[in-house]
Amino acid sequence: MLVSWELLKNFIDIVPAELTPEEVAERLTFSGSEVEGITYCAGKMKGVIAARIDVLEKHPTEAKYYVATLDTGTGRKVCVTSAHNMKQGDMVFYAGAGSVLPDGTEMGTRDFHGVESYGMMLSAEELGLHDVDDPSGLLILPNDARPGDDAAKLYHIGDVILDVSITPNRGDTLSLLGMAREIKGLYPDSVLKTPEWMLPLKQNKDWSEDFGTISLPDNGCLCYRLGLATGAKIGPSPLTAKIDLAHLGMRPINNAVDVTNYVMLMLGQPLHAFDLNTLPAREITVRAARDGEKMMTLDGKDRVLTERDMLITSGGEAIALAGVMGGEQTGINPDTSTIVIESASFSPIRVGHTSRRLGINSEAAFRFARTVDPELSKSALMAATTLMREWCGAEIGYKPLFAENGTHTPKPVTLTRKKLSTYLSWNDMDEATRILEGFGIAHIEGEGDEREFMPPTWRPDITIEEDLIEEIGRFKGYNDEPDVLPGRMPRRADIGESMALAGFVRSAMMARGYTEVLTYSFLPEDFPQKLRLPENDIRAHTLTIANPISRDQMAMRTTLLPGLLMGLKNAVVSGWREPVRIFEQGRVFLNGGEPEHLAAISFNGMDSRSPNGDRSEGFYELKADVEAVIRARGYVPIFRAGSEPFMHSGQTAEILVDGAKVGWLGRLKPALEQELDVSGVYAFELNLSALVKNKKPVFTPSGQFPASYRDVSLLVAVDRSNDDVMRDIRAAVKECSGEVLGLESLRLFDVYTGKGIPEGFRSLAYTLSYRAEDRTLTVDEVEKVHTDVRESLKRKGYSIR
Amino acid sequence: MQGLGVRELGVSAVREAFDVALRAALTLSELDDIRVRFTGKKGELTVLLRSLGKLPPEMRKEAGQEVNALRDEIEARLEETGRKIREAENEKQEKSERIDVTLPAKGRRTGAFHPVMQTMHEIANIMQGLGYSVASGPEIEEDYYNFECLNVPKWHPARDMQDTFYFPDGKLLRTHTSPVQIRAMHQYGAPLRIVCPGKVYRRDNDTTHSPMFNQMEGLLVDKDVSFSEMKGTITEMVNAFFGRSLKSRFRASYFPFTEPSMELDIECVECSGHDEHCRVCHGTGWLEVAGMGMVHPNVIRAGKINPDEYNGFAFGIGLDRMAMLKYGIADLRLLFDGNVSYFLSGFGGAESC
Repeated sequence: MLVSWELLKNFIDIVPAELTPEEVAERLTFSGSEVEGITYCAGKMKGVIAARIDVLEKHPTEAKYYVATLDTGTGRKVCVTSAHNMKQGDMVFYAGAGSVLPDGTEMGTRDFHGVESYGMMLSAEELGLHDVDDPSGLLILPNDARPGDDAAKLYHIGDVILDVSITPNRGDTLSLLGMAREIKGLYPDSVLKTPEWMLPLKQNKDWSEDFGTISLPDNGCLCYRLGLATGAKIGPSPLTAKIDLAHLGMRPINNAVDVTNYVMLMLGQPLHAFDLNTLPAREITVRAARDGEKMMTLDGKDRVLTERDMLITSGGEAIALAGVMGGEQTGINPDTSTIVIESASFSPIRVGHTSRRLGINSEAAFRFARTVDPELSKSALMAATTLMREWCGAEIGYKPLFAENGTHTPKPVTLTRKKLSTYLSWNDMDEATRILEGFGIAHIEGEGDEREFMPPTWRPDITIEEDLIEEIGRFKGYNDEPDVLPGRMPRRADIGESMALAGFVRSAMMARGYTEVLTYSFLPEDFPQKLRLPENDIRAHTLTIANPISRDQMAMRTTLLPGLLMGLKNAVVSGWREPVRIFEQGRVFLNGGEPEHLAAISFNGMDSRSPNGDRSEGFYELKADVEAVIRARGYVPIFRAGSEPFMHSGQTAEILVDGAKVGWLGRLKPALEQELDVSGVYAFELNLSALVKNKKPVFTPSGQFPASYRDVSLLVAVDRSNDDVMRDIRAAVKECSGEVLGLESLRLFDVYTGKGIPEGFRSLAYTLSYRAEDRTLTVDEVEKVHTDVRESLKRKGYSIR
Repeated sequence: MQGLGVRELGVSAVREAFDVALRAALTLSELDDIRVRFTGKKGELTVLLRSLGKLPPEMRKEAGQEVNALRDEIEARLEETGRKIREAENEKQEKSERIDVTLPAKGRRTGAFHPVMQTMHEIANIMQGLGYSVASGPEIEEDYYNFECLNVPKWHPARDMQDTFYFPDGKLLRTHTSPVQIRAMHQYGAPLRIVCPGKVYRRDNDTTHSPMFNQMEGLLVDKDVSFSEMKGTITEMVNAFFGRSLKSRFRASYFPFTEPSMELDIECVECSGHDEHCRVCHGTGWLEVAGMGMVHPNVIRAGKINPDEYNGFAFGIGLDRMAMLKYGIADLRLLFDGNVSYFLSGFGGAESC
């Protein structure tokens, strides 16, 4: 909300009088109305004055210029202009040589084809006033200006504007009147005033026009008033009013519309002006819209309505969306002369609903949704009527028409010393009472520890005791309250399983060289297709946001992989050539649940040369990372050949923990690598829920007696997995050694294909360690068992190399 | 006579021969040859030892002592020379194996944390120290928990403060972690101390707003809770996070779910108010970091706790903003655009191969 320091003076004499806008802004900010900026409208302007055009002549040689001789109050100056809208005797603003414009431009003299111009005459734009006047012509001043007057002191040109952020509970401060009341509360010695145009007006004439009734079948309209102004002449508003409107962020339109906007800005009551002769009928009905009913609003858009919306209708036709926006047909036009002014009170719930649903945040809707003082509709209508006479030359004094749906009365609120001293470290009930009264909250009963207060009609936000405490607290400020830590600890604080796991996992991943990232939870709509997920894959069934910002952030992720791949892509595109190892922990949105996942990618970079040779890593390094994370939680993962639609069909494994599939790892599908324009991307993704419980490790002491090591090398068909072979070896040892000795470990140390190995086979070489718990094994014992094992393996169909 | 007997045995001759041989020994294998020549099975010293038996008994003792002394001496000198040669050889080898220690490390470079996640864990730990448990809840929420329970009915203009993403079924992406507060009150009742960190979403996207960001809210519900206790708690949290005592100020504000409500400004962590061109505080000297207030009785009631018996306070901080302030990150969008090269180069360790 923009607040004019000049106009504020119409409503309040601030005491102490020497307070600057900055000081008041600071007080407002700390008490809840944050001032986000202060604008000095005249900016750097210096030395700009009013001047009269005494002589106006055409330029001797250049047809497009005029040469004016100006009366500057202290002398005469010659000034050249390319404007054409002035005449001899007009008052204009003149920036002489040496003066400074609001934007900082310093004026000098300039030669216009042989005529020296001492500075220039100004348009409204050059004064920093947008939308106030035709930017191509000079701003012609009313005749009350005198040559030599300082421009900064005329027509509020030198106003100071505070930009105040109004919180949704304080609709009452969305006006100069409201801000004056707030400042009165904060500086209780200040004196509230009533501007002249708000003084009571005699309104006793019968309408000069026939008009039927106002009916309010919808009780969302609390009251409805219509005022009449006849014989109005539509034209521009007075210059000061236009400048005020511009400073307060509204474009001046014409005098009649400006009156309604001006009164709204001053008092907070949204008003609407109809041309009586464009109303479909001489009656007004405020009713609920019918589901599916349509109307075209002033902005030219067709709106489809529901029965929660409220319409102003005339003769059955919708002429306005109540409290939100007028219709196209019934507004003020240049030929309007009979004006009907609407001043009404609408339910904030209903207006808020309509404005939110249709996305119309008009000045009117913004105020109604934040509650407009219902008492205001009467005084605002009177003020607007007065201004119709002042600005439009209209005839007024007609009795307003009026209808209402019951009245709203505020309810008293009790303040107790007990609650006050619980919340604040201070409990002076008398001072509290004085503070509340400063804000217009009347003390109606009680002198002791329990007192009753009546909020004014413009403060519907005050309904409970805490609201009163807030008024007191924000008046006094919170900075002097002591810092205390709460003493009673209800229970031991628990970091929680999921936070604990998250902390563990990130430490483990970082220790293994991965960098933590966060990517958006929403992905491009087509990510399941990009990942080649088939229709029957649950990850293809995404939740889609109904009102996304863009199609790229629309589908809730069902896997963390696309975010990581986008990160990789961005890194590569931005010129990153080093390896990329990143991981993310976060939720995916699957099947109505939100499981926590961990995913990582490992990419060797665009340049894998190093002093140590090629530093590329592959599947097995990644597998070690997966194992590390899972084993550190006390689980032993099993890896099986697997497949994912987006992964390399020959280099993908599924990860099992306690017999259940918890994720996958492998190399990205070459086609996807090609789409990303990179090669050698390895990735894994795990559902972390399997790891939430930290499995307690079982401690096994190492053997006391030495182990004996023997190797065996087997010729194995390529489609037989290492896991299968190891299982066979273990079985063979068990079968051959009985209880005599144990196979302590079994380790693959060589995989070989090539010379000497038949096509379709590979050689796998293992080292076995035998150990007994109770003695050192003899060579003979070991040899016997190992020979038996070899024989057993032969019987299982292996060729021993 | 006795001396003559010993001399006849040739002790000095053996010693002299050993001296000459040892002086010439330069390598361990040469030393081994000397060892064999003197102490081997047919070695000169071995022969000498054997010859002791041939001496008359009265001479054996003295001669034995001399020969044994020679043996000890030879063994000691062999040992010592061996050590010297080994040292010299090791030294030579080490010289030949010299490497350039400034070549890059081998293997993966170290990983790095994401500043926002780091901030989340740091603050959760601080709050745990103050007795707050971590609670969590769904990111896809019901309007009821996200708004209705928090004193924000559908028509309420406060909804304008939190532009919301909706799903076709009417569910929404939570706009704050406050619904977790309601769920926690339902689950645990009063008294209660929780923090709820997590992702939240608002339909907003510009240089200072991301449609997804991270928040941590805290809630304390107990009997007779005062504003001072909230002030003390927040001040403690912020100071612990930044690692020093910062000036702070509380401004009155408005949130539908708290009454009274305030916002906290802290002294600019970059310039402490000493730089009028500061890029962090833009010369104001203050940074807005948290919103808070005494929990509105309607919210306590929505949490199925009796507001006549209990009250409390709640606060919310933007983890992204805290992370940016602590770790000096200028652009919010860098945090989630996934272009990890920023983090890899900016937060990682040294280069390696």
